[in-house]
Amino acid sequence: MKPPALTALLFFAALAAADEPSPEKESWWAFQPIPRTAVPRLPSDPQPANPLDAFIRAKLADNGLAPSPEADPRTLIRRLSFDLTGLPPTPEEVEAFVDSSHQSHASYEHLVDALLASPRHGERWARHWMDAAHFAETHGNDQDRIREHAWPYRDYLIAALNADKPYARFVAEQVAGDVLFPDDPQATVALGFLAAGPWDESSLRDIREDTRDRQIARYLDRDDMLTTVMATFTSTTVHCARCHDHKFDPIPQRDYYALQAVFAGVDRANRAYDAAPQIHARRQHLLRLKGAAERGDRAVLLAAETQREVAAIERTIAAREVAWRVLEPQTFISTGGATLTRQADNSLLASGPVPERDVYTITAALPPGDLTAVRLEVLPDDSLPHHGPGRQADNGNLHLSEFQVLAFEPGANAARELALVNPSADFNQDQWTIAHALDRNEKTAWGIHPREGEAHRAVFELKEKLHIASGTTLTFVLKQLHGEGHLIGRLRLAVTDAAPPVLAGVPPEIATILASTERTDDQRAVLTAFLLKEKTARDIAALPAPSLVYAAASQFEPDGGLKPSGGPRPIFRLHRGDITQPREAAEPGALSCLAALPPRFATTADEGARRAALAHWLTAPENALTWRSIVNRVWHLHFGRGLVATPNDFGHMGAVPSHPELLDWLAVWFRDEAHGSLKALHRLIVTSATYRQGSARASRVATGASPVAASMAARGFGEAPKAAREARALPDDPDPDNIFLAHMNRTRLDAESIRDAVLAISGQLDLRMGGPSDRQFDLQPGIHVTPRVDYAKFDVNSAAGRRRSVYRFLFRTLPDPFMDALDCPAGDQLAPARNASVTVQQALALWNSAFLTRHAELFAERVQKSAPDLDAQIKTACALALGRAPTPAEQTEFTAYAQQHGLANLCRVILNSNEFVFLN
Amino acid sequence: MLPCPGPTPTLGRRDFFSTMAGGLGGIALAQLLGESGALADTLAEPRADLNGGLHHRAKARRVIQLFMNGGASQMDLFDFKPELVKRHGEAFDPGATAHIEAPTSEPGKVLKPMFDFRQHGASGRWVSSLLPHTAECVDDLAFLMAMQSKTNVHGPASYMMNTGFLLPGFPSMGAWLSYGLGRLTDELPAFVVLPDTKGLPYNQLGNFSAGFLPVTHQGTVIQTAAPEPIAHLRAAESARYITPDAERDGLALLDRMNRAHLAANDGDQRLDGRIRAYALAAKMQLSAPAVFDLAGETAATRALYGLDEPVTADFGRRCLIARRMIERGVRCVQVWSGAGGPTNNWDNHASIEKELPPMCAATDKPVAALLRDLKARGLLDDTLVLWNTEFGRMPFAQGGTGRDHNGGTFTGWMAGAGVKPGIAHGASDAWSWKAEHAAASTYDLHATVLHLLGIDHEKLTFRHNGANRRLTDVHGEVIDAVLA
Repeated sequence: MKPPALTALLFFAALAAADEPSPEKESWWAFQPIPRTAVPRLPSDPQPANPLDAFIRAKLADNGLAPSPEADPRTLIRRLSFDLTGLPPTPEEVEAFVDSSHQSHASYEHLVDALLASPRHGERWARHWMDAAHFAETHGNDQDRIREHAWPYRDYLIAALNADKPYARFVAEQVAGDVLFPDDPQATVALGFLAAGPWDESSLRDIREDTRDRQIARYLDRDDMLTTVMATFTSTTVHCARCHDHKFDPIPQRDYYALQAVFAGVDRANRAYDAAPQIHARRQHLLRLKGAAERGDRAVLLAAETQREVAAIERTIAAREVAWRVLEPQTFISTGGATLTRQADNSLLASGPVPERDVYTITAALPPGDLTAVRLEVLPDDSLPHHGPGRQADNGNLHLSEFQVLAFEPGANAARELALVNPSADFNQDQWTIAHALDRNEKTAWGIHPREGEAHRAVFELKEKLHIASGTTLTFVLKQLHGEGHLIGRLRLAVTDAAPPVLAGVPPEIATILASTERTDDQRAVLTAFLLKEKTARDIAALPAPSLVYAAASQFEPDGGLKPSGGPRPIFRLHRGDITQPREAAEPGALSCLAALPPRFATTADEGARRAALAHWLTAPENALTWRSIVNRVWHLHFGRGLVATPNDFGHMGAVPSHPELLDWLAVWFRDEAHGSLKALHRLIVTSATYRQGSARASRVATGASPVAASMAARGFGEAPKAAREARALPDDPDPDNIFLAHMNRTRLDAESIRDAVLAISGQLDLRMGGPSDRQFDLQPGIHVTPRVDYAKFDVNSAAGRRRSVYRFLFRTLPDPFMDALDCPAGDQLAPARNASVTVQQALALWNSAFLTRHAELFAERVQKSAPDLDAQIKTACALALGRAPTPAEQTEFTAYAQQHGLANLCRVILNSNEFVFLN
Repeated sequence: MLPCPGPTPTLGRRDFFSTMAGGLGGIALAQLLGESGALADTLAEPRADLNGGLHHRAKARRVIQLFMNGGASQMDLFDFKPELVKRHGEAFDPGATAHIEAPTSEPGKVLKPMFDFRQHGASGRWVSSLLPHTAECVDDLAFLMAMQSKTNVHGPASYMMNTGFLLPGFPSMGAWLSYGLGRLTDELPAFVVLPDTKGLPYNQLGNFSAGFLPVTHQGTVIQTAAPEPIAHLRAAESARYITPDAERDGLALLDRMNRAHLAANDGDQRLDGRIRAYALAAKMQLSAPAVFDLAGETAATRALYGLDEPVTADFGRRCLIARRMIERGVRCVQVWSGAGGPTNNWDNHASIEKELPPMCAATDKPVAALLRDLKARGLLDDTLVLWNTEFGRMPFAQGGTGRDHNGGTFTGWMAGAGVKPGIAHGASDAWSWKAEHAAASTYDLHATVLHLLGIDHEKLTFRHNGANRRLTDVHGEVIDAVLA
């Protein structure tokens, strides 16, 4: 290789060239259209059947290297099983494959097909995507709250990969599935991708809206989304352009903020979806109408179809005045100690002590008849502060946290609660709507500020009409738990038998329109918007309760200071990334360095359209980054190193492709021939002779030093640029990092593979798929938001400890120490490539953990049941864990050890062996 | 003092490069260049002629950081402001254009320090009556009177103070030190964390993460009150079948099995590394428990740390264990006061009067004991002691006598190896609301710590997702004023 001084020069040349915008920046390979490259013809070899091998062999020959022979069948089936399914082959599978491979070459292809068709395949490869997306199931940060509904995204990944969803669709769903495929509920679940990363609950929910910290946190939240999208799908480091133009790549700061603008209308929240497609479609339809009503979208409101939708409800509302029957309260109690006094008009007036919180319980008898709705009036009174109707000393406001009605029917021995729906009020305080009185959340409430001093009313419909028999009494419970004396000062209750809808009132402007027969378009739009809101609220409430997925969302239930933005938030380019130095407003868009694609999208108030535009940009056939990125990522996961060694960085500071022609050929083939089938890509790669080589370094032929290797090393391979340690030890080795793949790379099994293999070997593996994650820890309430999690207290024998690792609950700030020691990422950073470290902590975890020691014991029990004598038991143990028979020397040693210390101790040793932990 | 063994060449950061997935080679290019002095060298070797430093002579070899979780109130402890006494109860008015950023409350009236202040030592430092023992040590301390954070929120601020970034996923200072300098001993981890026995701090393990550095550099959490203080140090109790003999013979059998496998697999260094990892694990199993065994400490030492007084027993015990760790070659020890959550820590929103004194009482005597003990044993000559918190508090009241978060200014101190004793650097404004003179950012603190350990903070880097990451991001200046 070159002397250090020369490599240094090369390195500096690259740095200097990248320092400012330059033709070199613009002409960087990754941003160029993908050329169609020809498969090389090999002069001496017979032309390989698999085109990948032709590219690899041509490069080997250029560098004076030759490929290694094929690995033996035992090695191949173990390698292939772990690679495609993350599980070891069973001894029976090994023996069958060894037998058949002697007879037929096709047996390998059959094995590949079988493994790709196995549901285990999606489980294995979903975990790779979870790494890339930095998925975990808690927020991270100081308020590390559990995300109860994150797991549906994990199940989406498994199902999508098992179904071999075409890659373009897979990408588009994860960025804008809700918009592009509105009738497919799983396309909404896919948006879990955008929300997979950490979220700063303190800054984004709890602190004051007017703080700079809130604004900074919002920019950083979008930064995480756009970084995840661009690094994962396009292998670019656009996040490096947050404070200034990208120092090395042709990515101006404007592009970065254009991407911020794409995500300006979404937050991370529990998003409703319906697993049943018809209900999902119905809900989406209603939500679109609701959205149109809220936006006042005239095109939708004035459409004939919409007019038909609201015709019935208009007739009901316009037709009549509802007749209310005021109830005469019989008993009325203030739990807080206030005095309630019945007035002449049958209202109740509160006086005396003003507690912080109060609950009123009021009963009244009803005459026989039908009951369809109840009305609560809150009335002003001169005895109340600011004339009421509340008792709050500063302004006369009130907060009704929960409103309940119970019926005590004759003959019944208990009261039953009546289900109330469709709450309405003549006035709602901002963010304190009447819906809060029915939401079973005592922290939210209905309020009337700033319209104190006047009467207000709220109406609740019964979910099912109630026939009142003679002697029925109703009990009304009014919980007022907000505190600071936000209590009702005077109230009156009434009931009706009118057919729904029953509203608290129609605003005067609507009443005017209803009364007029000649309506202008403006009036029709206003009226339709009003009616549509009423109708969609009713229709949505009538649907079965939706499922939830933690995902990117523009509409969701407000939670404290986290509220839907109601459209894209304004985004400004921040000078030096500083929140106090906003510059021009940013338009939505993506990168400007791909000549074939428009860099900016339409600036629309519909945030979904912005994401859809990005999805189109990402999945366009002309997007050279996307197609190169995915084939490289898959290559990386099969070989332990990508054709570009930095899967998330194709820029100047990343690695250069070792086989640029192959990368381009694969990208075009995947896009045009395989139509984005990932399974086809896997099949092409793993059936290549290159993949099937042995992993022994010694077996290959080295003919001399390679100038290519040295210069490529100088450009930096790998996250940590590495060249040639062994070049010092073995000066003849021209390719110490095996960049040219003259043999297969030996890999350490990852955390999930080790854990799942141990479960499979001990006979305990439970293959049940999907659903909420298994919590392999003891969970107790914490001091504040973050719960207390104790992995040491988990019972390793429990059912929650036996499913595949992809179904483990992933706690971001407290990862499982066993998995952590094996380099399982915690989900706080994108992890396109895993470390495969060898550490003392890891040795301790494998040697001592409750998991491994218990499963060594279960492994031994399984083996003992399988055969009567120790000799056969040891053979079975080796077959299960290592896929081979013990050597005679091993048989002797293992027998002696097992005789002295028991089989469980031997199984512990075998599961700690290098042979088990590494994959040849 | 015990002799510190030299670094083991096998399991330092360099090993990592031979152990990455698919990485069969070894030495990094940057190191190759570093050796010829051509490039800012991420992978410079710790050099004996630099006292173990990477880039210049190290003054300190190890660090103990005392971390007050929650935001210790500077104006009630060290930053005495007569103006607050004078204006107590008045509206807080720093001027019409000033942006007051109180994250959880409306700014209340000016709140005076709740405790008496006196000057102490030859240096005449002001210290409140809550810290009588620390007050006796002020001539050994270098105060940073105008530290600043980029945020007023616990999570990001704790990440900032520990990792130099507002977001999760970056390596903490201890991890960088382990990565940069390697181990001083084979028998204990290089970076150890002793959390409050009541619980982990905000961000939990995130504060001690190795981030994208190899996992071997992450902080090893030691739960001093738990039955198993270090995870996986000995076989799980449930595994009754593992006898001491089975353990010993099993490790020997494993070693033979692995060596045979190594021979058959062309001497792959990762396979060899794993063989050695088991040997070291066995060593650590034997030596680590001795650190927690305080039986050999004298009655005078126990009294000094307050081990027999309920108020100081927990923090005192952890300070003493920190000293024992340092003695045995641990590179960096963090001792935490206060768990996460709104109470029982230094996050005193409700009442400074009621909430701050117990925190001070629990820590003051042990902190002073640690300083005295290290000094008496000569350990302070090459050990750096830091007292930090993630941000300060507001000069005005929240509710009655509480204070809200304030990243604008807060106090920290340094002592020991390479630190100029008895000084105060920087000053806050008249209210202790914002830093006014010689502000020190988190980056500056980290740059200074690395500097004292012989590291140029701009040169200790790790490439991750397209950027050369540093503890100090793209900022940080060494605070020369506190250097001896």
